[in-house]
Amino acid sequence: MLIFLLRRLVAGILLLFVISTITYVLLYFSSDGIAQNILGEFATPEQIALKQAELGLDQPLPVRYVEWLGGAITGDFGRSWFNSEPVVTALFNRLPVTLTIVLGALVIAAVLAALLGVAAAIKRGWIDRAVQLLSLAGDALPSFVVAIVLVTSLAIQAKIFPATGFVPFSDNPALWLMSIALPITALVFQLVAQAAQQFRSAIIDVRRRDFVRTLRSRGLPEREVVFKHVLRSAAPAALTILSLQFVGLLGGSVIIEQIFALPGVGPLAVLSTTQGDIPVVMGVVVYTVIMVILVNLVVDLVNGWLNPKVRVS
Amino acid sequence: MKLRSRAAFAAMLTTGALVLTGCGASGGAATGDNTAGPTGGTLSIGSLVDVTSFDPAASHVGHYMQYYQPVYDTLIMREPNGDLSPMLATDWEYDETETELTLNLRDDVTFTDGEKFDAEAVKANIDHFKVANGPQASTAASIEAVRVVDEDTAVIELSQPDPAILLYMAASAGFMASPAALDTEGIIGTPVGSGPYILDTDSTIAGATYTYAKNPDYWNPDLQKFDEIVIKPMQDVTARVNALVSGQVNAALLDAKTAPQGTGAGLNEITNPVDWQGLFLFDRGGVQAKPLGDVRVRQAINYAIDRQSLLDSLLLGNGEITSQVTGTSSAGYVKKLDERYDFDPKKAKSLLAAAGYPDGFDLTLPVNSADTIINAAIVQQLADVGINATQVVIPSTDYRNEIFTGKYSIGYYGIFQGDPWVAVNHHIGPNAAFNPLKYTDEKSAALIEKIQAGDDDAAKEFTEYITEEAWFAPFYRVNQLYFFDKTVTVENQLQQAVPSIYNYAPTK
Amino acid sequence: MSEAIVQNPQVPAVVARSGVVKRLAKNPLAILALLLLAGTVVASFLAPVLATHDPNFGDLQAVLAGPSAEHILGTDSLGRDVFSRLLFASQVTLAAAALAAVVAIAIGVPAGLLAGYHGGWFDGSANWVTNMLMSLPGIIVLLAVRAATGPSVWISMLVFGVLLAPSFYRLTRTAVKSVRNELYVDAARVSGLSDTRIMSRHIFSVVRAPIIIQTANVAGVAIAIQSGLEFLGLGDPLVPTWGVMLSDAFRNVYLTPLLLVWPALAIAITTVCLAILGNALRDSLEDGQKVPRVRKPRLEASAPAPSAVTTDTATNAVSDHLLVVDGLRIGYPQAGGTMKTVVDGVSLHVDRGEVLGIVGESGSGKSQTAFAILGLLPDTAEILGGGITIGSTRTVTPGSRQVSQARIAALRGKGIAYIPQEPMSNLDPAFTIGYQLVRPMVKVLGISKAEARRRALDLLVTVGIVNPQRTFDAYPHEISGGMAQRVLIAGAVSCEPDLLIADEPTTALDVTVQAEVLDLLRDLQKRLGMGMIIVTHNFGVVSDICDRVVVMKDGTLAEGGDVRTILRAPQHDYTRQLLASTLEGKLPMSMLTTGTKA
Repeated sequence: MLIFLLRRLVAGILLLFVISTITYVLLYFSSDGIAQNILGEFATPEQIALKQAELGLDQPLPVRYVEWLGGAITGDFGRSWFNSEPVVTALFNRLPVTLTIVLGALVIAAVLAALLGVAAAIKRGWIDRAVQLLSLAGDALPSFVVAIVLVTSLAIQAKIFPATGFVPFSDNPALWLMSIALPITALVFQLVAQAAQQFRSAIIDVRRRDFVRTLRSRGLPEREVVFKHVLRSAAPAALTILSLQFVGLLGGSVIIEQIFALPGVGPLAVLSTTQGDIPVVMGVVVYTVIMVILVNLVVDLVNGWLNPKVRVS
Repeated sequence: MKLRSRAAFAAMLTTGALVLTGCGASGGAATGDNTAGPTGGTLSIGSLVDVTSFDPAASHVGHYMQYYQPVYDTLIMREPNGDLSPMLATDWEYDETETELTLNLRDDVTFTDGEKFDAEAVKANIDHFKVANGPQASTAASIEAVRVVDEDTAVIELSQPDPAILLYMAASAGFMASPAALDTEGIIGTPVGSGPYILDTDSTIAGATYTYAKNPDYWNPDLQKFDEIVIKPMQDVTARVNALVSGQVNAALLDAKTAPQGTGAGLNEITNPVDWQGLFLFDRGGVQAKPLGDVRVRQAINYAIDRQSLLDSLLLGNGEITSQVTGTSSAGYVKKLDERYDFDPKKAKSLLAAAGYPDGFDLTLPVNSADTIINAAIVQQLADVGINATQVVIPSTDYRNEIFTGKYSIGYYGIFQGDPWVAVNHHIGPNAAFNPLKYTDEKSAALIEKIQAGDDDAAKEFTEYITEEAWFAPFYRVNQLYFFDKTVTVENQLQQAVPSIYNYAPTK
Repeated sequence: MSEAIVQNPQVPAVVARSGVVKRLAKNPLAILALLLLAGTVVASFLAPVLATHDPNFGDLQAVLAGPSAEHILGTDSLGRDVFSRLLFASQVTLAAAALAAVVAIAIGVPAGLLAGYHGGWFDGSANWVTNMLMSLPGIIVLLAVRAATGPSVWISMLVFGVLLAPSFYRLTRTAVKSVRNELYVDAARVSGLSDTRIMSRHIFSVVRAPIIIQTANVAGVAIAIQSGLEFLGLGDPLVPTWGVMLSDAFRNVYLTPLLLVWPALAIAITTVCLAILGNALRDSLEDGQKVPRVRKPRLEASAPAPSAVTTDTATNAVSDHLLVVDGLRIGYPQAGGTMKTVVDGVSLHVDRGEVLGIVGESGSGKSQTAFAILGLLPDTAEILGGGITIGSTRTVTPGSRQVSQARIAALRGKGIAYIPQEPMSNLDPAFTIGYQLVRPMVKVLGISKAEARRRALDLLVTVGIVNPQRTFDAYPHEISGGMAQRVLIAGAVSCEPDLLIADEPTTALDVTVQAEVLDLLRDLQKRLGMGMIIVTHNFGVVSDICDRVVVMKDGTLAEGGDVRTILRAPQHDYTRQLLASTLEGKLPMSMLTTGTKA
């Protein structure tokens, strides 16, 4: 177990290193007009030169990169070039919002997908076709299109939900729920689709297995057989799919957060890349890769735990 | 708001995987519930911008003022109608050469860290402002030094007369912070001033909410209309609309397209014509684009634009068409010039023909990626008179820089309408950033000298001159549309995009 | 270990297949998707012809207008005709998606071919690169690229194509690897064909289909991502695309929400159609057959097929038999509309305290009969005729197409129980032995968990498990086959059923264990006074434990009766053949078979 974790850790660090290097090199070529942007329209050439020195923009690429790397390893990602906020603080402040949306969507999607997958696999007939169709639509439809439809119909027109803004849970739980309902729905829609399909296939497969028939022969009620035993064996396949989708989820949440004006990592990513705020962009990229590695690791661990052969050993 | 970076990094790693939390740090009062009465309660404002640093040298004018005014006093206060009145300086006086400005200062003001406000503090602040390289640093360009006469008297020594220096003392250059805090890194996140409020760092999350609590030791309780001020950056206009309509903020700036939502929700509205928008004809000398050197061509461009249609369709009529770049509040304003160029494509074509371009000519038009709609309309209208404009899209964050390089002969922009000398320095004079090709001629140079000496008639003459010479092709003055709910009263601030903090009060 | 003749009762041996294209054509949804997509592509090509206005011309007098005769879909915030813009936008959007797909294929497929065929270091490093690419969220990467290179649809889609290449790589590699080892490739190699020849001929044809399917999916994703970026305002604003139109519409959402509909519909329809098409292609290429549920009129009780011997059953009268099977016919509908009959008129009965053996070879229908009795047939099976009565409960009546689940469910565990053939696959690997013993008892008998636990441990002792507590706490993978079978037996009898059906209970076990298990079964049966059915192909088992036996062949009863009688004096040719085919007591080196089958 320890060796497994260690290996994953090393692989993850290697991945981080490679990705951050590539990103840094890419961004290096875009950092020309930054000083002027930061200083504004009244800046004199001397001021600009001063600012560039301050930001280290006059140094050659390898020097800058090593400096950044040295800081990053110790957890210091520097400050934003535009508002001098420490990058880690900025990310840390925004993380709860993004995590709420993303993890909330994952959990709800997993539950919904399980239910839909069960219904489709067992009832077959029209429910099966309906679920398959819905899955297709949900899978194909970009989540931001769904979000736009939801916002326009339920928030702007019908005024049931707030169209933008995030209310922290500590402020008002009811409003908090309302403010995340639409964003999560938009994300769930796309997640459920694929996951439901996976559950459905896995459940159909598992139901054919011998032990399911034997459990039924013992007189266990059908519901228990399905929800306790079949789902349990079908879960790993679906969990794997969900973890694969997590990558796309992080991307989709960027647009969703823009649409709903949620103070998550998404708007930070968009703003920093349009402004060319390199410390922040690097911070966002590193955070994203870490999240992906972590989620994959967690899913692998959960799958391992679900499988007694792995768990007991 | 302040977290040690490394601890935060480690925490981020662990929370990244394991925390499902809806608990963002509490953001202070989310709703603006003002208790009835002339003072007290919380004022919630939705702002277009986010403050980048609380170092007063990093302050910017316009929307940014609202972040600094609660915590820093200025030397001079600018009233809503533009008049100057005492604040940290009780009175001021020029010498005959107008290069020495003597300020008499209050003697009863202390900063929140215990430091005393005195002439030394003024000197420290202005010295810092000059070298700190902030966005408004050039407003102190004519300040050579600050001389401390005694505790309550400081003299600002100018290299040349500067009619705008008093205005600048009421803006960024005039913000006074505690000298002890000035050169520290902490001032970026935690302002230390003498203002009516103090930043409540516990209830502040950078980028989301800034909470200011009443300063109990403030020297002018009349200015403290509220117990607490909360400013939330909301760059997206949709976010501001929703925040206003749902009561999350008491006041915010909307735009032409969203204004109906504000009025529909029963909110109050005040309008303020702060900016003019239109085409800058940078290459009036015809250096790069030869045709532009001919005044008839530039006038033709003015005649080619259908200002009223643009105003009606793009801004839903929220503004006033004009042919001059000077605002109504400026000393250089000449009323009849608003209608100097009407919409007359035929006249434009005949002017072009007279200048030797009967079939028009080609032009490159830089396009701010955030303003594609208006530029598409410009291209169309220019094409109607034979001028073929090729668009070059520039990302909005780079647009201004690109213009400043001088490689484009014309460009669309919106600029605030300031006092004559301010405007000259900003976008008209030979050294203005918005005059990248540094165009100047004898007549304008002479008039500019007189404006520097404060000659109002010269200012009017100058407006007439540049309008007749079609240095620009202004379209209209745009109304800022400020909305607020029934719990507050708000007054516009002259020449400022949003009202000053002092202009808000609870409804009686 | 004796040869385990594992009969899979789920899938009938022969599956009818129809052609791929025909199958696709039968899918109405796929047809619709194809038409819509083709229509969109054609429309985009014909944009200059179909457009009613110049897409860039803005009529300032008609800004944000609703649909009218002049502007079919209305105008945008500059007064530009929405319909025309939509048409021209489709050109860019579709072309960009195509670019992404082409790049992805151009990188992924050759790499996959190489890695799959030659393996080695390329395979390893390519795998690593693939993993890296797949763990990058597309939007973040594209944002970073855009920060470096500026807004350009083509650069974005090029980069995105690179990000999508892994999926093609994986798919190609898998297909290649699976085909590579096929015999015919080796044969081709031996006969001197060059490597490239082999690859292009054999492997490419296998890989073709999955690539087409993946392309459909990838194109949809590319459109979605590209529109997303443009919606964020990060595209090239001078070029009309669906994302740009959507962004403009959203900015004016308070004034004209209708404007959102058109680009949203365009994106939605295109992406969904691509997905439907991809799915339909996959379905029509897969092996698994979707058998149509043909609506047939209710069957009348059909007469059982004539058999050589009549068994002594009272057909419809209620008897004191524990179990009566009466003219049972079971079939599986086929793809072409035909019916494959696996049990064709079987009648038998079992009384309390007696053991009936059902003997036959694979495909004789014996297990199907057993499952029908238990009500555990697969969903696709249909009862074509006959009836089953257990005790006084009629679980199958003539005319019912399925076993009555409501009635049989009440009987399972307490009334009727099942011992399966293959012990290891019949225990849920995720739960402990103890749990799987205790829970059914709690549910079926209504006793407490503690009581069930006590009984379970007792049962484990009864079935001869040496360390019951250890087995109780263990997971299925931790015990041996023999122990597992004992556990299954314990589970089957745990609720003291009246009828016990054992399906080849000793076939999967070692010879020494077989004898023990048979002893155990006999012992339990006597103690609990159960009626028992043993399904087997082994006459040795029959002679050991059964009182009566029926012989099944091709779904019908060949012969049936008292064990001693049948064994000593078989009447039917087939029975004789079966008996003669056993290896026991056979003369060495003599022929086993008695000539051609009857």
